[in-house]
Amino acid sequence: MIEITINDIPLKVEKGTTILHAAQANGIDIPTLCNHEGLTLDGNCRLCSVEIEDMGNKKIVASCMFPITRNISVETETERVRRARNTVLQLLVNRNPKAPIIQQLCAKYGVDREERFALEPDLCIRCGRCVRACEAGGTKAIELVGRGFDRHVAPPYELETDACIGCLSCATVCPTGKITYEETPGKRKIWYKEFDVLQCKRCGIYFATKEMLDWAGRPENDRDHCNHCQKYIESVKFLTESQKK
Amino acid sequence: MRFDTLSDLKNYKNEISQKQDKGKEIWICGGPGCVANGSMAIAEEFIKALGNKSSSDENTSLWHSIKVLIRPEEKETEKLIRTGITGCMGPCENGPVVHVEPDGLYYQKVTVDDIEGIIGSIKENIPYKAKAMSGLDDKPAEVPSAENIPFLAKQKKIILGKMSTMSPLDLEDYIAHGGYSGLIRALESMAPEEICNEIKASGLRGRGGGGFPTGVKWESCRNSASEMRYVLVNGDEGDPGAFMDRALMEGDPYSVIEGLTIGAYAIGSSEGIIYVRHEYPLAVKRLANAIKNLEEAGLLGTNILGTGFDFHVEICEGGGSFVCGESTALMTSIEGKPGVPRVKYIRSTERGLWESPTVLNNVETWANVPHIITNGSEWFRSIGTENNSGTKVFALVGKVKNTGLVEVPMGTTLRQIIYDIGGGVAQKRPFKAVQTGGPSGGCLPASMLDTPVDFDSLTEAGSMMGSGGMIVMDDRTCMVDIARYFIDFLVEESCGKCVPCREGLKKMQMILHDLTNGKGREGDTKALEDLAEDISDTSLCALGQSAANPVLSTIKYFKEEYIEHEKEHFCRSGVCQGMFRIKIDEEKCKSCGLCSKNCPADTIEKLDSGKYCIKQEGCIRCGACFEVCPFSSVDIVNEVIDDD
Repeated sequence: MIEITINDIPLKVEKGTTILHAAQANGIDIPTLCNHEGLTLDGNCRLCSVEIEDMGNKKIVASCMFPITRNISVETETERVRRARNTVLQLLVNRNPKAPIIQQLCAKYGVDREERFALEPDLCIRCGRCVRACEAGGTKAIELVGRGFDRHVAPPYELETDACIGCLSCATVCPTGKITYEETPGKRKIWYKEFDVLQCKRCGIYFATKEMLDWAGRPENDRDHCNHCQKYIESVKFLTESQKK
Repeated sequence: MRFDTLSDLKNYKNEISQKQDKGKEIWICGGPGCVANGSMAIAEEFIKALGNKSSSDENTSLWHSIKVLIRPEEKETEKLIRTGITGCMGPCENGPVVHVEPDGLYYQKVTVDDIEGIIGSIKENIPYKAKAMSGLDDKPAEVPSAENIPFLAKQKKIILGKMSTMSPLDLEDYIAHGGYSGLIRALESMAPEEICNEIKASGLRGRGGGGFPTGVKWESCRNSASEMRYVLVNGDEGDPGAFMDRALMEGDPYSVIEGLTIGAYAIGSSEGIIYVRHEYPLAVKRLANAIKNLEEAGLLGTNILGTGFDFHVEICEGGGSFVCGESTALMTSIEGKPGVPRVKYIRSTERGLWESPTVLNNVETWANVPHIITNGSEWFRSIGTENNSGTKVFALVGKVKNTGLVEVPMGTTLRQIIYDIGGGVAQKRPFKAVQTGGPSGGCLPASMLDTPVDFDSLTEAGSMMGSGGMIVMDDRTCMVDIARYFIDFLVEESCGKCVPCREGLKKMQMILHDLTNGKGREGDTKALEDLAEDISDTSLCALGQSAANPVLSTIKYFKEEYIEHEKEHFCRSGVCQGMFRIKIDEEKCKSCGLCSKNCPADTIEKLDSGKYCIKQEGCIRCGACFEVCPFSSVDIVNEVIDDD
C-alpha cells in the first residue's frame, strides 16, 4: 500500500491504482469524458487533469491514466487545475455547444461559449469511446480517421463494411449522442449499412442482427429466441426432465 | 568480404591502414542541395573525363579507379585518381561542391566546364583557383583547404567527419575511415554494463531535442525484466528547414548502424528497427544497402564476429506524419496503427514497442556512440561544456549567407554559428531573430545572440535545441507572421487525439490569422499567452506541450510587434498584407531609378526634383522596391497613422 494525499486527505492505495480511481473511491469528484469503466484507457480529453507534486515537481497530469507508484500529493481544485479544466471545456463548447454533457459540465464549472471562436456545431468530441468499444468487441469496424482538426470517426473509406455487425456498442458508449442509427421493426441502419434484425419467436422483441449471432458463433438452426427466452426455454426443459426422473 | 571472427575484422583493418600510398580522390557532394544544383551530372562528366563510362548512382558504387599521369616529381609516375559521390559536405549554399583528397581542397559552384581544370590541377598538384571556396575576405582562398575556409575552419566535425571523404555505399570505405573500431572494442573488451556506464560517463544526451541522458535510458532498459528488448532509430525528421538526420542517413548510414549495434549489445537486444520518414527515399535506399552489405560481411545477423551476439536490423518507413517523430507515436506507427501518441506515464524503457522495453534514440545520438566507444568517455567530455558534452549538428538555413550543414561543439554561441560560420545575414541586412528547435522551438532576438547553444541555455532562453534546425531571419520577417506560420504547420500536423492540441491550436490559429489580417482585437496578445500556457500544461504529448513555444517566445521578445498588430493594425516588417504602406524617403533617394524599373505595378514615378515617389493608389505593397533600393531609402510606414 502507498500513502498519498488527495486535497490534503491522507489515503492508502494499492500500487498501480490510478489517481481517478483513488479519488472516486473516496468520494472526490473529478470530471471525465473519454473515460469509460468498461473500456481501455486513452486519456485524450484531458478534462480529468489534476495537479500532482511528485518528488518536488508540480505538474498537471491526466488522473484517469496516472498510476500511483510512489508517495505523491494530488490537488484537484487548484487555480492551475481550474484553468486547465476550464480551457478544455471552453474549447469543447466552442465546437460542441449542443452536446448535453458538455452543456451540463459548462454550467457546473461556469464556462461560456465564445462567439468569436464558435465553430460549426458538432456533437462528436472525438473521445474515441466508440472506437475502443468496437475494438473491445473484436470487430474493429470503425476508427478515428483524419488528422488534427479533421479527425473523425468512420468505417474504412467511409463506406459500409463487412466488419460492422450492427451491435450498437459504439452508440451505447457515446457520451454525446453523436452516433445515431435508424431502427424500424426488423431493420437497423448504422454506419451506412443495413441489417436484418431477428425477432424472438417467443416474446416478439427484435433481439439481434444476423451478423451479431454469426460473430458470437451461434448455430444457424438455433436463432429463434432472444437470450432471455432461450434461457427460459432451457430451464423449463431442464425442470420437466428432472420431474420425469 | 566476410568477417567470421573479431580477429578477421581486426586483421582487415590493419591491412587497410598499412596501405600508405593513397591515390588522389575527387569527391563530388551528393547532398540534396548540390544534387539540385546538378552535382550528379558533374559526377558523370568526371567519370567520363577520367575515361570510364558513366553509371547511374545506386547500381554500382561510383568508385572508379583510373590511371592518370601526375607529375609533381620530375619523373612522370602513374597514379590513380578515384572519383565518387559522397553524402552532404555542408556548404550547401555554394554547391555543387567538389572535394579533392588527400590534399583536402574544396571547390564551390563547380560546373561541367571546370572538370578539365580540376583534373588538370590535380595532375599539376596545385589548387584550381577559379572555383576555390571563399576564404577569410570572401575572395577565393589561395589554398582552399578546410582551415582556410571560415565556414569549415570554425566547425568541429566528428559525426560529419567522414562524410566528405567516403562513399556512403561502400562498407570497405567506412572501415578504412575508422569504422567499426567502436564495435570491435565493445565486443572484445567491454561487458554490456560497462558500455552503458561508458555512455553514461560521456554525458551524451539525446540529440532529438529532449536532451535526456542516453546512458541512463540504456541502463533503465537493460534493467527492466523482459526477454525481448528493442532498439529503435528515430529518423522521422520533420521540422521545416532541418536536414541533419537526412544527411547522416544518406551520407554515413554505417555509423548509425554501428552505433545501433553497440547499443543493442549493451542493453541486450537482438532486434533493431530504423524508422525513416517516407519522404526520404534516398536515405531508405542507402540504409537498406548498408544493411545488406553488413549482413553479407557478417556484421549484422546471427553470431556477429563469432561472439554469439545476434542482431538484426529492419527499416520501417513512416507514413508521413510529423507527430510520428514523437517516441510513443513512432512506436504505435511501427505496430501498424495510426501514428498517434500514447500517454507516457510508464517509460518506453519499461514498456515500449509491442509492450517490450525499448530504447529509442535519434539518428545523431546513435552516430555518436561509435566515437565514444572508440575514443572513450573522457575524450567525449573534453568536447563541449560541463553538462552538454560532444558536438551538435545544425541545419543552418534562412536569411544567412552560408546556408548548410554545420557541426559545432556544444556551448558555441549563436553569434559564432551565424556570423563566424554562417557569414552573417544574407545581403548584409540587419539580423532580427534566429529560430531554433523546429516548429516547437522559439525565436531568439539579437540580444540573445551570445547564448551558448546547449540544451539548458536554449530552454532557459525560451527556445529549445530540438533536433537542430536553425533558421536565421532578417528585418523583413514579421514575427507575428512567423508564429502564424508555425502554428499553421502544427495545426496541420497535430494528430488530433487530445482536446487542447486539436482545438486549442485551432483557436490560436484563428487569433493569429486575425492579427496578421488586420483584424486583431484588443487583448489578443494576452489571450494568446494564456491559451499557450494552458495548451502546454494539458496536452498529451510533447508536440502539444511544446506547440505554444513559437508564440510564447515571439511574444516574449517581440511584444511590441504583437501590440502594433493588435492595436494599430500595423506590420513594421512589411509582411502582413494591407497593414503597412511603402514610402520613399526623398532625402535618402539618390534618383537611381532601380525601384521604378523593378516595380511590377508600374506605380513609381519620377518627380520634378529627380527623386522617385510611389503612387499609393496603384501600389500592391509587394516590397520589390524595398528589396532593390541600394540606399535603404524605401520605408515601411503605418498606414493608419499616416492617413490621419
